[in-house]
Amino acid sequence: MSSDEIVDPTVQNDASVRRVLLHLVLPFGSLLLVVGAIIAIGLHSYRSTRTGVVALTHELLGAVQQNISQEVSDYIMPAVAGNTIASGMIAHAPSQVADRVFYSYGAAMLQSVPQLQSFYLGDEDGHFRLITRGPNGKNEERTTFEVRDGKQVYHREFYTIDGVKTGEEYTDATGYDPRKRPWFTKTEGKTETQWTQPYLFPSARQFVMTSSLRFKGANGHTYVFATNISLNELSAFLDHLKVGKTGNAIILDSKGRVMAGRNIMQQAEAAGWDPNKMLLDPKTHPVFARGYDHYRVRGFGPRSFELNNKRYVTIASPLKSSAEGWILLLSAPENDFASFARQSSQQSLQFAGIIIVFSLVLAGFLVRQVRRSERTTRKLAQQGVQITHESAAVQQVASTPRLFDPTAEPLVLTEQLVHVTDAHRASIWRLLHNGAAMICEDSYDQKQDAHSGGFEMSRTELGAFFETIESGDILSVDNAATDERTTQFERLVMRELGTRMLSVYPIHGPKGIVGAVVLEDAHMAPHLLYFVDLMASIAGIRLAETADDAESGHSLPADEVSGAANSAVPLPAPHFDNMLVRAPQVSDVITSGIYPSVAVLVITFSDPVVDGDTETQNLLKLINVLATDVQRISKERGLFAVEVAGHRMICMAGCTAQEDPTAIIRIADAALTMRETFMAALAAANLEPVFAMGLDYGAAFGGAVGEDPKVFNLWGQTVSLAELMAQGASDGGTIQVTDRVYMALRDRYLFRSRGSFFAPHLGLGRAYVLAARR
Amino acid sequence: MDTRTVGPLLELNKAVPSFEESGLPPVPFSMKLMPGDCMVVEARSSSRATMFADLCSGLVPLDDGAVKFMGLDWAGLHDRELNALRGRIGRITRRPSWPEFLNTHLAITLQQLHHTSRPLDEVVAEAARLGELFGLPGLPVLRPSMLSDADLLRAACVRAFLGRPRLLLLEDPLEASPVELQNPFLSAITDARDRGAGVIWIVRNHAIWQGYRQGITSTWRLADDGLVEVRTA
Repeated sequence: MSSDEIVDPTVQNDASVRRVLLHLVLPFGSLLLVVGAIIAIGLHSYRSTRTGVVALTHELLGAVQQNISQEVSDYIMPAVAGNTIASGMIAHAPSQVADRVFYSYGAAMLQSVPQLQSFYLGDEDGHFRLITRGPNGKNEERTTFEVRDGKQVYHREFYTIDGVKTGEEYTDATGYDPRKRPWFTKTEGKTETQWTQPYLFPSARQFVMTSSLRFKGANGHTYVFATNISLNELSAFLDHLKVGKTGNAIILDSKGRVMAGRNIMQQAEAAGWDPNKMLLDPKTHPVFARGYDHYRVRGFGPRSFELNNKRYVTIASPLKSSAEGWILLLSAPENDFASFARQSSQQSLQFAGIIIVFSLVLAGFLVRQVRRSERTTRKLAQQGVQITHESAAVQQVASTPRLFDPTAEPLVLTEQLVHVTDAHRASIWRLLHNGAAMICEDSYDQKQDAHSGGFEMSRTELGAFFETIESGDILSVDNAATDERTTQFERLVMRELGTRMLSVYPIHGPKGIVGAVVLEDAHMAPHLLYFVDLMASIAGIRLAETADDAESGHSLPADEVSGAANSAVPLPAPHFDNMLVRAPQVSDVITSGIYPSVAVLVITFSDPVVDGDTETQNLLKLINVLATDVQRISKERGLFAVEVAGHRMICMAGCTAQEDPTAIIRIADAALTMRETFMAALAAANLEPVFAMGLDYGAAFGGAVGEDPKVFNLWGQTVSLAELMAQGASDGGTIQVTDRVYMALRDRYLFRSRGSFFAPHLGLGRAYVLAARR
Repeated sequence: MDTRTVGPLLELNKAVPSFEESGLPPVPFSMKLMPGDCMVVEARSSSRATMFADLCSGLVPLDDGAVKFMGLDWAGLHDRELNALRGRIGRITRRPSWPEFLNTHLAITLQQLHHTSRPLDEVVAEAARLGELFGLPGLPVLRPSMLSDADLLRAACVRAFLGRPRLLLLEDPLEASPVELQNPFLSAITDARDRGAGVIWIVRNHAIWQGYRQGITSTWRLADDGLVEVRTA
């Protein structure tokens, strides 16, 4: 690739796309797939676990619910079953012992069943018997409703648990009629056990409800047997009941009133001991309230819902064998059951994280490895290309004719050195005079595509540099200006080109070091030792040959040098110079100066092809005729001077210190006349118009230069532009002028525009073709 | 002088151009151009000559075969590389190829400015030098449509030889050109060949290249039956 090219077409871009795919997309894509798979599996596992957990929770809650139902049933059963048993016993007992049966049964039950509080027995005639626990909870108290001295009284008798009477008392019971009590009235016309509404005893802090059963005795009377059962014990049971870790249970009746549950007494107190006000409060029991709402809307069964960012499970179920419409409501946070699932998910996530980290590390290793191997492959390919490049260069050097001939220029060596090492400049230096001096055999500048050589350096100027070369070691310096061995060389040789890096390869000859190959800004040189050595060796053979030639003394003797032998013979002074025409004013010019308005006409002739002496003679005659014509016309138009230089003529006018406005007119006239004369003369000689004229007008330097003879010379931008106009004339036989000439002459002459042109150092300008006079 | 490429510079290997796309005969074209070679191709039809140059530049789709430039198959490259590779070709074509939205100096230097990192000054200096060589008083700065045909041809020569083209596809600039152009043109061809460039000079007139007969490596004729080598005495 040329170092200037921006895109190297030999490097395919798709390779880099493939590389990116291979290096990054594939590993990371695979990694993402792995991560995705892990996440999907984790999610699936979590979901299935959660579903299982929910099902398990429901089953657990169901089991708990059954257990509680059983407990509640067991709790209430003595009341319900006791009613049936007691009523059966009383109904079948003779009426004389009915009281004793009642009291015996009551005493036995009160002793063995703690939740039972008391028993009632009433009949249609208003008789009433009660057995209850004593105030201390241990003894018993039997109460009958009697009429004593015409007054309705309660006759209370106190017994120990052994049946020993310890005392009695009468208390007023005016107005009391057991037949009007709810427990009695509710059984009217019914044969099953009936429940009253629960009622509270603030003094005893008891929450009691009554079950009653109507039956007929053997004597034909109708009796109602009632059992008071305390719900406090049920609440205490529910209080201690654990549902999951933190869940609990509550019993509600069909109207949502709390029958039993945690802290029932506090609720009762808050409700003013009014059972009807003991409704579920969403503030104190938010979960139960929500669960109850679910039940009301969706009926019995397990329900899940979220409350305050926490999931709960509730289950509502009817309580059989209990009072009508009682509902058991259980609630528990889902976490209580699902916590192990969460732990399992967390563990899965941790495992997944570890796998991902490992995968990342492995992917990183893979990327690194692939990139390294890719880099190595690329380097190998580059080396292959470089070797091909070097081989081609070596072939080119080898195919150069007269490679080892010291008289032929070794241009190919420096050129190939520059191209292969990508150097700015390569030069071959030869040591002279036993190392006292060094001469540049050839130097090739890549940017300028130009060879140069012949300059000489002496040891006095570059002592350190000479010593470095003579040491025979390769020298490579990144900044030649700062290394003391190369500072002088940099100042003298490199600074002109602005190069920084310097590589010096000593050239070994048969008798030691004979010179050096010097590379400037050769970025590839450190990698190309073999090639540079090869070139240095070839240069070494050439330099050795050159040295041999110099020593064998093949140089020409002084008397054979052309012109040297005749220098002693005096000849008459030449009576011609390069001035074809000289106005008298030329003699007045002694010094150099600036002329403000010089008109310069440059006439260029292209080299004609001549074949044979006759043609040459004819051509010389024609040239002479043309020169004579120029002289004549110049004198007629009063031109200042006409200078001949090879195939060019430079006609000038207006070389005066004061501005001469007629100069340009005179020279334009002369140009037109000369063109016509030349055309005619060339046509007569059957030749094409092989000339072109360029004309410019402006300031120029001029003056006499040299000593004996002094020669008048004119130079400056005006002369350069006139030459450029002649050189770049559109056709043969045309007069091309600058816009300055056009501006000066447009009123007098006819012009044809050629366009605008840019020339480095001269700038932008228009070119015109001078056609004719107006 | 640049290091020569190993192998042929341009190789047409049984390349069958698409007739629908090019109008060239759909027959296999085979030839090799080595670095430094100058090949003359005689083509009577200027449109066919242009299409042949397009074929060499990888602009004509092929039905079969391959065209390789500097060892790279045009068909196997992507746009970025294709364009970069075409940056190594200098071309003079009969097809209108001057953009009207650019002035001539930019149109001339555009290729180098686009494809290389050469400084502007260097490119302009080289273009001006070539301009002088081909008979222009500098680098023309007007729009191409405002230049005369002869000057536009000179500008085309400058554009083709600017930079260091590895391949020159020249569609007969000497036909109907000023006679002064011949020497600079032949001189520029010789210089380019010395630097290892290959030249395909497509001519219509047999007489045009006779002055450079000694420098011609091979002569071919583009006819209905494809590219045929002409044996010259």
